[in-house]
Amino acid sequence: MNKRSLAVTLLTFAMVAGACTGGGGDNQEQPSGVVNIVLWQGYGAVSQPGEVPSLEGDSMHALVDKFNTTHPDIHVDLINYSNDNALTKLTVALQAGEPPDVTYQYGSSMPQLAQAPGIVDLTDRVADPAFNWDDFYPGERDAATIDGKVLGVPALVDNLAVVYNKDLFAAAGLAEPTADWTWDEFRADARALTDPATKQFGWSLPADASEDTVWHFEAMLWEAGGDILNADNTQAAFNSPAGVTALTALRDMAVTDKSIYLDFQNSGKSDDLFNSGKIGMLVVAPYQLAGYPDANYGVQFMPTFPGGTHQTIAGPDNWVIFDNGTDRREAAWTFVSWLTAPEQVLQDSLADGHLPTRQSVSQMPQFSEFATKYPGIDVFAANVANVQKARPVLASYPQVSQALGQAIVAVMLGDKEPQQALDEAAQQANDILGLPA
Amino acid sequence: MRIRRALASDHAIGWTFAGPAVLLVIVFGLVPIAWSFLLSFQRSNLIAPPRFTGLDNYRYLLKDPTFREAARHTLLYTGLFVPISVVGSLFVAIALNRKIWFVRFYRLAVFVPVVASTIATSFMFLWLFDSTYGLANFVLGKVGLGPFGFFDSTHDALYSIVAMTVWGWIGFDVIIYLAALQGVPRELIEAAEIDGAGRWSVFRNIIVPWLGPATLLLIVWSSINALQLFDEVYFVTHGGPLHSTYVLVFYLFTLAFTQGVAGYATAIAYVLFVAILILTIIQFWIGKKVVHYSS
Repeated sequence: MNKRSLAVTLLTFAMVAGACTGGGGDNQEQPSGVVNIVLWQGYGAVSQPGEVPSLEGDSMHALVDKFNTTHPDIHVDLINYSNDNALTKLTVALQAGEPPDVTYQYGSSMPQLAQAPGIVDLTDRVADPAFNWDDFYPGERDAATIDGKVLGVPALVDNLAVVYNKDLFAAAGLAEPTADWTWDEFRADARALTDPATKQFGWSLPADASEDTVWHFEAMLWEAGGDILNADNTQAAFNSPAGVTALTALRDMAVTDKSIYLDFQNSGKSDDLFNSGKIGMLVVAPYQLAGYPDANYGVQFMPTFPGGTHQTIAGPDNWVIFDNGTDRREAAWTFVSWLTAPEQVLQDSLADGHLPTRQSVSQMPQFSEFATKYPGIDVFAANVANVQKARPVLASYPQVSQALGQAIVAVMLGDKEPQQALDEAAQQANDILGLPA
Repeated sequence: MRIRRALASDHAIGWTFAGPAVLLVIVFGLVPIAWSFLLSFQRSNLIAPPRFTGLDNYRYLLKDPTFREAARHTLLYTGLFVPISVVGSLFVAIALNRKIWFVRFYRLAVFVPVVASTIATSFMFLWLFDSTYGLANFVLGKVGLGPFGFFDSTHDALYSIVAMTVWGWIGFDVIIYLAALQGVPRELIEAAEIDGAGRWSVFRNIIVPWLGPATLLLIVWSSINALQLFDEVYFVTHGGPLHSTYVLVFYLFTLAFTQGVAGYATAIAYVLFVAILILTIIQFWIGKKVVHYSS
């Protein structure tokens, strides 16, 4: 029964095991004078013949190969792992004292990483006019900056928009949504698209109460004019009337209309169901579009609440550098600054459909290819302008998110009323925020 | 002379053989146990330097409602999983201990889930037990049962995990029982039958006592594993819906690696460790009185 051997000593066992396996790649034989650096990323391995091609993985490998060819004095050793486990794996490697030189990390992990030993402060480096830091979108820069220190370079930016199945809309006799649609229209569409007999639903939401559930709600909360926390991050603010408006909208669809397929396990089921025409609309990030090859879909901005605005939420992720001695640190910066330069950002966007992390890239003439090559992603690219707020940059945010996630799911299950659920979650969040760091 | 004698002694030879294994136990067993004991008195997210907070973690544990909830689910799960899998596997083993056609195929079929990857079986169950689209509800509907919520319902989710894990692990218990059943002396059963014992009486008075040591092993083994349930919860339900499948190891994993409170997570791990230790001692103590080791 070793499969379940996550024993009582799970944590520390992992650390010791990490000591034996962490880092990796640093003993590779290379000609002398070549600096080896280790890069951890989660875009996957290069596609093999016969596989569904992983555009992201192929693009990343192509870029690293290009770098290794053009920089003979540096060798980047690329190691794949799941982005979802990026922080866990890094935690173990830090315990072992062998962090990678460069690692892809979620923006939400930055407050925790800010305390990590060996993380390289990039503030002075990005200030170099040649690097053009202000070319990155403000939301990305904010997510990479902790207490005034720049600790990461934006690696990926995404946002949430609505993807809808054009065939299902036509079959239900519905007009396709326009950019100025409202949540009332969204609700009516979702209801019209729902048919218990054919097991078809209007919408689906991740309902595992994870951050994935929460950020979908947070976009709606901001649209309704609310905020997650107060201005100085000391008190929960999501139990405001705006929060109740947003959560009531979810309750009306999930409980009253039963037009939402609640994906409690959030393991890709709703993507599969959308692709096979069982779900009419999803609120997704751009990379998910690759999962719908069979669906005839369109993309539209999120709807608005009465008197509210079109807003969305972004999850900017970063390249983070750890200090493994001067040579490797400088080589790591050379690599990261090269990788995030406009030329490479453009190459990556065109190769795999990533939204450009730099504003200047979308103005480049070659970028016009993007919209024709990746239909629908142009809406996500335009939607970047609707990113007006960022999630709190706070080490205790994951715990706040946990409390809020439970509240959202409880309401969608019909177990609690929106105001009651949000008040209880706010109480828990305030307890967490009140603890000394 | 003395050195040569020492080298030739059983001690030296014994340690040479045991050394590598002992080293592994120390490095991967004792060191982490000691380290985590230290960690359980700290406030640490495993990234920033830790801070000693004395008994704070253990004190918080006493009034943590989520810990109580997770402990309750863990006990309920163990209370269901252990008897169902042990009793169930006994009957499966007896059924497979006959001379029937294709018996090797059936034995293999029962064991396959044990060696199949938990990730693979988890994804299978995700769809099988989907409340809307799943095959399970479709088939049960044909015979007038359900529909059940399975993993999508706060009431059914933990029981669905029980069903899934019993299916996944019963093969292991069956193999142990099959091996033990092969050892039941034929002549003992024949003697009993000559004395007029019926099939039930043979089962009750000969087979069950004979399987005592195997049963004790399985109960202890399954309990230890059931109390540490993690994989299926991690891959399938993520502890949900609404904490309904939150079990202790999943809770402490979430605390340590998602929420960044590893010190507190380790305190929970320690409480679980001590609980398992005590339970195992009790089980062996009862076993000593009930189980007969005969040859």
